[in-house]
Amino acid sequence: MLALDLLLQGIVQGAIYALIALGLTLIYGLLRILHVAHAALFTLGGYIGVIVTNETGSLPLALIVAMVSVGLLGIVIYRLAYKPLLDQSPLVALIASIGLFIAFEEVFRLVFGSYGLSFENPPLRTQVNLGGGLLISHSKLLVIGMAIVILSILAWLSTRTRTGIAWKATVTDSQIASSFGINIERVRYLNFFIGSALAAAAGVMVALLTNLVEPTMGAVASYKALAIIVLGGLGSVRGTLVASIAIGIVESFGTVYVGHILDRDALAFAFLVIALMIRPQGLFKAG
Amino acid sequence: MAYEVILLTTMAIMVLFALSLNVITGFCGQVSLGHAAFYGIGAYVGAMLTKAGWPLLIALLPAAGIAGLIGFFVGLMSLRVRHDFLAITTMGIAFLFVGFVRKQEWLGGEIGISGIPAFGFGRIGLLVVALACAGLFAAVTVYLKRSWMGFGFDSIADDEDTARILGIDVPRFKLWAFVIGTAGAGVAGALYAHHVRYIGPDSFGFVESVTVLAMVIIGGIGSVWAVALAAAVLSVLPLWFQFIDDYKLLIYGLLVFAVMRFSPNGIAGALQSFRRRLR
Amino acid sequence: MLLSVSDVTVQFGGVTAVADLSLQVDRGELIGIIGPNGAGKTTLMRVISGLVRPTSGSILLNGQDVTGWTIDRRVRSGLALAQQIVKPLATFTLAENVALACGSRRMGSPWQAMTTVDRNAELQRGRELLELVGIAAAADDYPSAVPLGYLKCLELARALALEPELILLDEPLAGLNQAEAAQMADRIASLVTESRSIILIEHNLREVIRICPKLFVQDQGRYLDFGATEEVMANPKVRAAYLGEGAI
Ligand SMILES: Nc1ncnc2c1ncn2[C@@H]1O[C@H](COP(=O)(O)OP(=O)(O)O)[C@@H](O)[C@H]1O
Ligand SMILES: [Mg+2]
Repeated sequence: MLALDLLLQGIVQGAIYALIALGLTLIYGLLRILHVAHAALFTLGGYIGVIVTNETGSLPLALIVAMVSVGLLGIVIYRLAYKPLLDQSPLVALIASIGLFIAFEEVFRLVFGSYGLSFENPPLRTQVNLGGGLLISHSKLLVIGMAIVILSILAWLSTRTRTGIAWKATVTDSQIASSFGINIERVRYLNFFIGSALAAAAGVMVALLTNLVEPTMGAVASYKALAIIVLGGLGSVRGTLVASIAIGIVESFGTVYVGHILDRDALAFAFLVIALMIRPQGLFKAG
Repeated sequence: MAYEVILLTTMAIMVLFALSLNVITGFCGQVSLGHAAFYGIGAYVGAMLTKAGWPLLIALLPAAGIAGLIGFFVGLMSLRVRHDFLAITTMGIAFLFVGFVRKQEWLGGEIGISGIPAFGFGRIGLLVVALACAGLFAAVTVYLKRSWMGFGFDSIADDEDTARILGIDVPRFKLWAFVIGTAGAGVAGALYAHHVRYIGPDSFGFVESVTVLAMVIIGGIGSVWAVALAAAVLSVLPLWFQFIDDYKLLIYGLLVFAVMRFSPNGIAGALQSFRRRLR
Repeated sequence: MLLSVSDVTVQFGGVTAVADLSLQVDRGELIGIIGPNGAGKTTLMRVISGLVRPTSGSILLNGQDVTGWTIDRRVRSGLALAQQIVKPLATFTLAENVALACGSRRMGSPWQAMTTVDRNAELQRGRELLELVGIAAAADDYPSAVPLGYLKCLELARALALEPELILLDEPLAGLNQAEAAQMADRIASLVTESRSIILIEHNLREVIRICPKLFVQDQGRYLDFGATEEVMANPKVRAAYLGEGAI
């Protein structure tokens, strides 16, 4: 039973990683930027989720508000921070992004206080019996469900709609895409909007699971999401999904079985380093 | 007086630390997001040895040696992965280091090592040693940049496949960059341990790795003087901002962002274009 | 025998780019390799130089088996190549590009590299070589500031700087106009000495036939013919591969 429990735990964690890392992959695929400040948008999503739920009592409304407003903020960040740096070495954008991330964390602390916020009436805390004594909370089910729904919508968008096809073409080869009359700049905006909205959704999910949002909750996301997209092959959506779930599972089993030698982060990174030594280009080819 | 001595020692140690990364990232073009691990290795080795009765000046040698040795192995790994993959691999190594130390009783585990002996020649003595180490390392790297090896590093940073076609033994050059750079970080770490006299796993995390990389990039990749200047300023900036305590990190973050946004080639780049405008 | 390629096969996934090719090159030879697009010429050159590993077969340079060697090691023991797509070091001036190659054999050991500061001799030699290939005027320019023809010459100068016994040239005439191509071909022919051989991969048949005494022909990765230029060009199989079926 323990093994099943751990597997479930790993999948829930993996689903959250996937929501965070997917946006990062989309942005990397298009602009070759390691967008560390993405993790700040994840935190902001959590805050908005908690605050709006507490004000209105509606979680779905809070989720939508968080995703839309953070998505728009993502576009602003692209426009003001990254666009002027696209001709520079990617390192410049990376450091700028780190500076931005530090600044965001401080703003959260100054605005929302350093002790964090919780839901007044924590939603979805009840447990469901999956049979055989395997218990799972409604919030965890929601996380898995949300991840599946969001990913399916994305998959549908990218293969069935004009915008989605334009977006995929741009990610694959932006020069060819622009010669076909695709507006690259619009695709980039869309990319930042969707990626940031996904991060916000992940923030709300984590708030639900832990019933706490703090200024520093993005710290883990800032580096682990980088590890995941690299493991997935940098720019590969499928790779990111597989890597997210893999890291989630490695962590949940690892902490129980080898937790006395290495901590959670170190386990994830041990897995990453070993995987990269075997496959230096990551699990999947970009594209 | 005591305050100035502490400030200057902090500066000197960070200058040494940043210059050591500059050899790897600035000269040789190998981005490391995990350099704090080697700073940490030096700190732990130095602290363990002086606690066992070694004089600090002698303990600096094994601190450099062990950091450099592990740097050699990480360098070997760096031969397999490139660019962003390398940056994240080095970041992974740093997390492995911290995660490993956390679980080691004999290294103090989560709690870390406290009661590290003070340097025998006092605070001023430590300042002199730190300045000497930073100065010596700066001189070595200036020389290195001018040597043929520096020329080879330039070619690897530019395009390592082409460097190979021109007969440069790329793996060996890279390994040398890693060994020199990580050994330098080891010395900086040992000095740091005796400067603050308490170390723990959290002293060498992701933030520290990122901070030192920011110093190198903000200085202007490769330029020894500009990187030293950036490290000196950035290391004490949060201290200078004490009076606006609550906002110091916010300003720090915004400053890092603003330098990159408005002067992407760092201080060195800004000075260069300023000089060009004067002419 | 300077170079001996034996039964080399290179596969990329399902594609066989080079199929069981063998080739011998003696000192002082100038051998042209021809074949239609996609014949595997570039891959053959890349496998000789060490940029790709053969799926099977072996490569001997000066009697030494170099099959497992890295490219830079082969370069330091007498091989040089100029690639089809020019790859100048963008942050180096043309003279510095050549100077780096001039020193790389002597500076193979990092210790030597660390203890050597003076690079005037190499820069001087670099300028001489740029003079030799006719682009001395641009010695202090950066690659982004000079035309493609200059970069093609730079590739050649860098190859010479390595003091090689065998130079591999991949389509050095591509992108040049007729007069430039003829001039470059003459220059290539003049570089062959008793101790230096050249393998020339080239699409410009006119110039290849004019300067190469021997030709090696491949098609779809496979061997087609090898021998004196007139005989090879008279071979109906070669004509068919080149000009398409029914052209005989
Ligand atoms: N790196 C590679 N990966 C996959 N296929 C390749 C690669 N390099 C070459 N090929 C294939 O091998 C064949 C030979 O290519 P190439 O050696 O470039 O021919 P040539 O230089 O004679 O035009 C082509 O079909 C090409 O598509
Ligand atoms: Mg070719």
